[in-house]
Amino acid sequence: MKRMQNINILPMACVGLMLVLMMMVIAPLLMTHTQTPVDVPRAHTAETKTEENITVTYTIDSRLLVNDVEISPEQLMSAVSSELEKDPYQLVVIRADKGVLHRDVLEILANVKKCGAKRIACATKKSEE
Amino acid sequence: MRRRRRLRFYSQPDGLILNSLVDIALALVIGFIVSIPLFFESGIFVNAPSVAEGGASDVSDIKVNIHLLDDGGILLNEEFVTYEKLNELLPKLLARSIERKVIISTESNVQYQRVINILDLAKQYGAGELALLRIRK
Repeated sequence: MKRMQNINILPMACVGLMLVLMMMVIAPLLMTHTQTPVDVPRAHTAETKTEENITVTYTIDSRLLVNDVEISPEQLMSAVSSELEKDPYQLVVIRADKGVLHRDVLEILANVKKCGAKRIACATKKSEE
Repeated sequence: MRRRRRLRFYSQPDGLILNSLVDIALALVIGFIVSIPLFFESGIFVNAPSVAEGGASDVSDIKVNIHLLDDGGILLNEEFVTYEKLNELLPKLLARSIERKVIISTESNVQYQRVINILDLAKQYGAGELALLRIRK
């Protein structure tokens, strides 16, 4: 009896799976701007939203960055405005260090709001407790 | 005769057995799906400070105003409370509120982590809207 010859699709499935895996790892890194190390506050109830956003980072040593590009506080509004021009409904994430004063974060929040941001979120990390 | 048959059965090479590899790859994919949200930062949505024109409302709602003091004290609707007491009162107040709005204000030297802790607590007890107040300069 003649043996049936099948196409071996297992290697293709493996390559496909590996590609999916790599995409899953790389995609959030490309969409978010979290390269600057900041010790963000911990919270139990946090919503995870992996979408393209404008990230305003405020470090413990009072450095201000928009999408990982360092700027002066005076440049904040122009930098955020130019980003919001592309999409006014883009999410603005405030990544502030847990050790900074709240009044500084509020100042940033107020300036971002003045730029016309409609969706603002404070970055947190899931609490392990 | 019997031995020869068995030998033939075992010596037929049918290509590489990749089933176990696929299994491991699938397990890795599932592992990544589960663990990725743990590695990435999440967030709490807030209302940025703004001044809106105040209009009179016919329905009076129970307000949840939390004021944080520099020395670690907490004022809930202008009354001193401890963190434990706030834990106890906040769900009761929110349950009776229609809008479930929590307004948080602070003194000038309050740390950001403390505010996030209160925001987190309010969110845990079902706050619908979180607002941060700022004193106008």
